[in-house]
This record gives sequence, C-alpha cells and structure tokens, in this order.
Amino acid sequence: MKQHLGRQSGVQNVEVSLIDGKVEVTPKEDGQIDPVQLLKATYDSGVTAAEMNMTARGKIVKDSSGSLALQVEPHRSFVLTPNELSKGLEALVDTPTMVTVRGQLYKKPAGKKKADASVPLKLLIFEVHKNE
Amino acid sequence: MNTKKLALLALLVSIVSPVSQAQIKHIEMRVEGMT
Repeated sequence: MKQHLGRQSGVQNVEVSLIDGKVEVTPKEDGQIDPVQLLKATYDSGVTAAEMNMTARGKIVKDSSGSLALQVEPHRSFVLTPNELSKGLEALVDTPTMVTVRGQLYKKPAGKKKADASVPLKLLIFEVHKNE
Repeated sequence: MNTKKLALLALLVSIVSPVSQAQIKHIEMRVEGMT
C-alpha cells in the first residue's frame, strides 16, 4: 500500500504503521495531492479506509450553493460540515485571512466496505488556527 | 525605472503569496484489513 499511495500525484512521503493501522501522508508543495484519489488508491491496494483526517491551510469562501468552504488551491475547496467551529469562521468569508484547520474529511459509513467516490468529501473541523 | 519594477514586483508577490501559502499540509488515514 505504501508504494501504491507513494505513486499518487502530489505525494511526498507515506508512513504506514501496521500496529495501529495508521497511514501518514505528507504532500508535496505542488498542491497536486487529491484526497479522493488517495481514498481510491487505498481501496485499490486491498485495504479499507475507515477514516481520513486532514490538516490544511487556506481561505474561507462560500461555494455556489452558499455553503462555507475551505479553499486550499485556486480550483480546489472543501465544503465545511456545519459545527460550532465552522460557524466561527463565517466572518472570514472572502477576506484574505488564512486559517490552518485540522478536521475529518471521510469516515466510513457503518456497514459499507468501499468509499463512495461520487459523494464529495466534506470537512468536519476539529481545530482552527488563525494565522493572518 | 527600477523603482517602478520593484513596486510592480512587490504588488505581484502580495497578490500571489496568499494563494501559494494555501495548501494541504498533512493527511492521516486509519485503515482496516492491513496485514
């Protein structure tokens, strides 16, 4: 699996811990990493992703449907799952303020084995660090 | 002339840098079925 994930676009390094089933992925700075592709590559390598957490830095924007989103690249953003922390970020919409957040992008639905690639990943924020 | 070029460069850097600082820093997965 380490080799499989390491071949994905934008991946700098992959560390796998067999004991606790954790996989740590360090992205390259080219911004090409795609969490959806990582989930797919994980499944293709014969294991099931139970959970995916991400630390990312970006700007808070509103998407076309009016939902809050974290923009991490000019053409890539993740819609935020509403919670207390996301509500606190509403004031930053369309401001140049950059925030670093840690949150959950994916959790395997109970009873399902494979990630549904057709469902867009939503970011459930656990932590917010305002930087600028 | 040089001052104008420097001012333009500074303006470009200020526009581009906030976007370039935005990125995915780290991804962590918990997986099942790994042997």
